[in-house]
Amino acid sequence: MGQNEHLRNFGMLAVLIIILCVLPSNINLYQRSVILFTMMYVILSLSWNIISGYTGYVSFGHVMFYGIGAYATGILVVDYGWHWIATLGVGVFVSFVVSLCIGFPVLRLKGPYFAIAMLGAAEGTRVVATVWESLTHGGEGIGLPNVENSFETYFAMLVVMLATIIVSYWVGHSRFGIRLNAIREDEIAAESLGINTTFYKLSAFALSAIFPAAAGGIQAYKILYIDPETEFFILVTIYMKLFAMFGGKGTVIGPILGTFILYIVQEITWVKFPTAHLIAFGVFIVLVARFMPRGLMGYAIDKGWARKGMVH
Amino acid sequence: MADAEIALDIQNLKKYFGGIKAVDGCTFQVPKGQISGLIGPNGSGKTTTFNLLTGVLAADSGEVLYNGENIVGLRPYEIFNRGISRTFQITRIYREMTVFENMLSASSMKVPLREARARAEQLMEFVTLTKLRGEYGGNLSYGQQKLLEFARALMTDPDLILLDEPAAGVNRTLLNNLLDHIHHLQEEQGKTVLIVEHDMNVIMNHCEKVFVLDYGVKIAEGLPEDIQTNEEVIEAYFGHK
Repeated sequence: MGQNEHLRNFGMLAVLIIILCVLPSNINLYQRSVILFTMMYVILSLSWNIISGYTGYVSFGHVMFYGIGAYATGILVVDYGWHWIATLGVGVFVSFVVSLCIGFPVLRLKGPYFAIAMLGAAEGTRVVATVWESLTHGGEGIGLPNVENSFETYFAMLVVMLATIIVSYWVGHSRFGIRLNAIREDEIAAESLGINTTFYKLSAFALSAIFPAAAGGIQAYKILYIDPETEFFILVTIYMKLFAMFGGKGTVIGPILGTFILYIVQEITWVKFPTAHLIAFGVFIVLVARFMPRGLMGYAIDKGWARKGMVH
Repeated sequence: MADAEIALDIQNLKKYFGGIKAVDGCTFQVPKGQISGLIGPNGSGKTTTFNLLTGVLAADSGEVLYNGENIVGLRPYEIFNRGISRTFQITRIYREMTVFENMLSASSMKVPLREARARAEQLMEFVTLTKLRGEYGGNLSYGQQKLLEFARALMTDPDLILLDEPAAGVNRTLLNNLLDHIHHLQEEQGKTVLIVEHDMNVIMNHCEKVFVLDYGVKIAEGLPEDIQTNEEVIEAYFGHK
C-alpha cells in the first residue's frame, strides 16, 4: 500500500517538470518572468508550510530568509566578483545559521507571540540591511551587472523548486513529519509521548529557512537590483502565507496548487484592473476565507475527494 | 502486604502554585509489576503528581527514583524514553491527525517503520479502532478518544504506565476490555500500572495497592479493603463525623 500513490504523485510532478522545461523557449520574456516568480512563490509557500503548516508555528517574518539570500548574492557578485550560482550556497548557509540563532529563543513562544516575534526579527534584519552600509550599501541598494539571464534564472528556480517539493513531500510522508504535526496539534502531549519538541521545531524552522534563501538569491540576480525595502517587504511574507493557506496548509499539494492559481489570478487582475487590483484580490481572499477556511485541500478532504492524513 | 520490588520511589515531592500547595511533600513507593491506584478527593493533587512524575511540571523539590535514577528535572520526552508512558485526564488526542497517525507519532524513531506500523495495527485492533484508522482523532467520540490515547501510550511497550482516569466516559463493555488488557499487561508482561481513578469499582476490584492523597499529602496506603475502612480516608472524602 502507499506505493501506487507515491508513483502517481511523482508521475504528476514529472509531467509538471516536463511542461516547465519545454515552456521557456516557447514563450516571451514577460511570460517567462511570470512563471519564474510563480515558481519562486511555490518555493516560499512550501517552505513557510514546513514550519507553519506542518508544525503549527505561524511565521510572519519569513521574508527575512529570502532577503538574506538576496543580499548574499548581491554583495558577493558586486563586491567580490563571485559567480552568482556559487553565492546561492552562501545565502543558504547564512540563512541556516540565522534560523538556528533566532529559532532557539523564538520557538519557545507560541501562537501570536511567535508570529509577532518573527515579524520583529524580519524588521530587525531590514534595519540592519539599511544601516550596515559598509556591507550592504545601505538604503541606496545594490545594482547588479546587467546581462540577459532569463533562461539561467528560470532553470535555477526550477531546480530549487524541485528540491523544495521533494523535501516537503518527504517531510509530509515521514515519521519526522508526523512528529511535526503532533507538535502542531498538542505540544504538551507530543513532548510527553517521546518527542524532543525543541529539536524537531528547530529542524523544521531551519528546513523552512534554507529554500527561501536560494529563491531570494536567484530573484536578486533576475531583477538585478536589490534594496532593503523590497527584499524585506512584508508583502512577500503575506503572499507566501496566503498562497499556502489558499491551497491548504499542512499538505504538500496545497501550497503548490494555491500558488499556481493565486499568483496567476493576482497577475491577471493586476493587468486588467491596474488601479483596483488589490481590492479585487482582497475580495477574492475574503470569499475564500469565508467559504474555504482550510483551503482547497481542506475543502477536498471535507467533500471526500481527498483522504485525511498524509501517512496511510 | 508482600514486599515487592519498587518501580517508582517518590520522596518528599513538592509543587506549589503561588499559595496553593498542590503537592506538599508526597512520599510513596509504587510496587513493580503490580497495578496500583492513586485516589483522593478533587483537588487533592493526583493529576499534579502525574504531571510531576512525567516531567510536564517541574517539581519545586523532592526526588523520583526510577531504576535507581532521579528523574526529576528531566524533560517529558526523556522520561518517556526511559519507559514511562501516560494518558491524560482530559484526552490529548491529535485532533487533525488520523487515528493511524496518532499511533505512529508515538513510535520510537529507532524502531523500523514496518515494525511500528505492525504494532499500530495490532493495538488499533485491540481497542476496536481499526475501522476508524483513517478518521481524524477529533472526529472520534470521547470514549473512543480515551481508547486511542490508551493504545497510543502502549506504542513503545513501556514498563510503567500511568493512566489518568481511564474509566471516565468509556462504556462498560469497552472498559472491561480495557481493564482486561491492563491485567494482561501486568500478569503476562510484568508491567507496572498506576491508575488515577474516581470510579471506586475500578480501584477496589483491580488494584493490588491503593495510595490516598489529600491536600497534596499521602494520608494512607494499603490494600483496597483496608483503605475502604480507614478513618482518615473516610474523613477526607466525607468530612468529620
